[in-house]
Amino acid sequence: MTRTIPIFIGLTVAAILTIILCTFTGPAGFGIPAIGPGVADIIGGIRLPRVLASFFVGASLAIAGAAMQALFRNPMADPYILGTSSGGALGASLAIVFVGGFFVPVFAWIGAVVAILVVWSIAGRRGVTPVETLLLTGIAVSFFFSAIVSFLMAIAGQNVHQILFWLMGGFWNTSPFDAILAACILLPAGLLLFFMGRDLNALSLGEETAAHLGIDAKRARWAVLGGSTLLVAGAVSIAGSIGFVGLVTPHIVRMLMGPDNRIVIPACILAGGIFLALSDTIARTFFSDLPVGIITAFIGAPFFIWLIYQRGTVI
Amino acid sequence: MNEQHGINAENLRAGYDKQDIIKFVNCSFPEGTFTGIIGPNGSGKTTLLKAFSRVIPSSGVLELNGKAVSEYSPAELGMALGFVPQDEGRPFSYTVMQVVLMARYARTSRFSALTPEDFARCRQALEDTGVAHLSDRSIQTLSGGEWQRVLIARALAQETRVLLLDEPTSHLDLSHQSDILSLMRNLATSGSTIIGVFHDLNMAALYCDRLIMIRDGQVVADDTPVQVLTPEKIREVYGTDVVASVHPATGRIFLMPLSTPARSIAPDKIQNILVISGGGSGTDLLHFLSRKGYSLTAGILATTDTDYLTAKSLQIPCVEVLPFSQIPAHSLAKFRTLLSQADRIVLSAHPVGTGNLSVLLALLEVDPARVIIHLTEGREFPSFDYTKGAAIAAFSELCTAGAHCTGSFNGILEFLDTESHKTCQHLEEP
Repeated sequence: MTRTIPIFIGLTVAAILTIILCTFTGPAGFGIPAIGPGVADIIGGIRLPRVLASFFVGASLAIAGAAMQALFRNPMADPYILGTSSGGALGASLAIVFVGGFFVPVFAWIGAVVAILVVWSIAGRRGVTPVETLLLTGIAVSFFFSAIVSFLMAIAGQNVHQILFWLMGGFWNTSPFDAILAACILLPAGLLLFFMGRDLNALSLGEETAAHLGIDAKRARWAVLGGSTLLVAGAVSIAGSIGFVGLVTPHIVRMLMGPDNRIVIPACILAGGIFLALSDTIARTFFSDLPVGIITAFIGAPFFIWLIYQRGTVI
Repeated sequence: MNEQHGINAENLRAGYDKQDIIKFVNCSFPEGTFTGIIGPNGSGKTTLLKAFSRVIPSSGVLELNGKAVSEYSPAELGMALGFVPQDEGRPFSYTVMQVVLMARYARTSRFSALTPEDFARCRQALEDTGVAHLSDRSIQTLSGGEWQRVLIARALAQETRVLLLDEPTSHLDLSHQSDILSLMRNLATSGSTIIGVFHDLNMAALYCDRLIMIRDGQVVADDTPVQVLTPEKIREVYGTDVVASVHPATGRIFLMPLSTPARSIAPDKIQNILVISGGGSGTDLLHFLSRKGYSLTAGILATTDTDYLTAKSLQIPCVEVLPFSQIPAHSLAKFRTLLSQADRIVLSAHPVGTGNLSVLLALLEVDPARVIIHLTEGREFPSFDYTKGAAIAAFSELCTAGAHCTGSFNGILEFLDTESHKTCQHLEEP
């Protein structure tokens, strides 16, 4: 497509501008403040890590979403479809209720990975697994884990607020370490999914089709699932389960650039990053740090509807 | 056939989970052949095809171009074997060209871009299947037939020596069916191995060198179309009755299904009815009377006559003669026996020439009260007179003698069931 390169240039410029703009925006004011005590701390120690973390998490969720949608041949799939978010929520809730709120990210990461492993081992029990089996198992496991989280909330007492905020997702306690962690996951997993763009294209027409086209469908599936799991578990452990970014960003990208995953994946890195970094900046600047999941849906949904209205199709 | 191209299967078993759908299939598909796989629904045709392409695990010997299929890497297999599915989901809005270019994935590294040659090959494949004009269209906007031709183009773009097609023409109209199958025929002629699953037995017979008929995962016939598509085998395997004949234009075997609803048993209608017809005039009549449960005989019919095929397929005894010949004396004698045995005789308006005039003359010898003449709307008897008036004279004599006349099947029924006597209406002579 001839529009591909201009759109990529535009997205890259927008991403750089977003990071700069968001770093210099916040409840403490906008613009490059005069150098003084505390300013460097706010910019370098708090805002920049938070902006970068939100950018990387948004990118992670968006490409994991794109990969899941291709793999499950279902534009309605989201990165949490195999139970990652409910697993992460369970881990975080356990940490909040029983460990006094320590190690929440670690517990969340473990919960997310455990959820995926449970789904894989149930669905993959008999050699050949249709993706539909994987999907349904994921939904069942999600509901089961969510039920446990609801139970924990019922008995959590004063901690219920903490669990609730975690469930809605946000970047309140982001440290420079989180930003580095998110980058360390995004870089290899993003490269993996990018170079699996052809496999994703073929898989999006069906696993048998992919095999007939000379793709190692089974290996490609597990590689895509493995990469996505790492991305989503990392995102969940850093920022909780933020909805909407992973579902809608790939749609927007496909609307603008077509469904070729060799283009969708890199474009999702930029678009997902911009989307979440901007949403988080809006959340912390204008809404006294509301959970960012509220903002992504509140701003993203009307924008998405406007796009559907403009184009008349969803792809 | 180790050194040859094509597919070789020995004692092949395949299926889903632990249930074998394909049971001990032995067959080989050498290069340069176009083979059709036929069989009723659920017989394992598609499973066999997918076992060949390795998407369904199989046991036994399965060789592709002389090498065990299990030893192929996925990419090698994608370069050696192409597969056209019956249909494919279209959840995303790829362009036609994007989908066809996926055929080239097996040939290029994931770290490099597709070459101009890849594009050229894909364009050629789209042209071969007649969908080049759609190359920039979204696949979600295509009709079922257009999409099927895109899927065929994608398999062609894989440039494989072996091509498996699962009902490749199921969504195509008549002209595209023959275009695609001619294309496959040509590919086979130039050395490819083409294997297709077909529901349309006539299309399979028209284009394939060889047909393999399977039932319950086993090969029940493996031969040329003429040898495989016999009414007996079709009845045995498909459980339905067909008439086999030779297609007048192509010279290939041609099947026609018979609609044979259960005959109503009518004990009160045990009369013997002789139907005299010709040139296809009696086809509907024979079916109608047969459905009503009458015991029928027919005559005299040439073996090329449609009425003859109808009588045969309905298992109605009839006097047959060779086409384009005088009716021999012994046939006429047999016919006279039928005439004397029949309780009622139905004469259907049909063309009369010097060859079959003797039938009409023999009819003049029986009691005209037993005879009813069926004149379909607007038709006269004889519908064509090639006897310079002799047939018309015989007909007039029949009418004057008191034979009955009717224009409808119900009129015939009335005559057959009651003893009412109507005189023959006067008919205008030409």
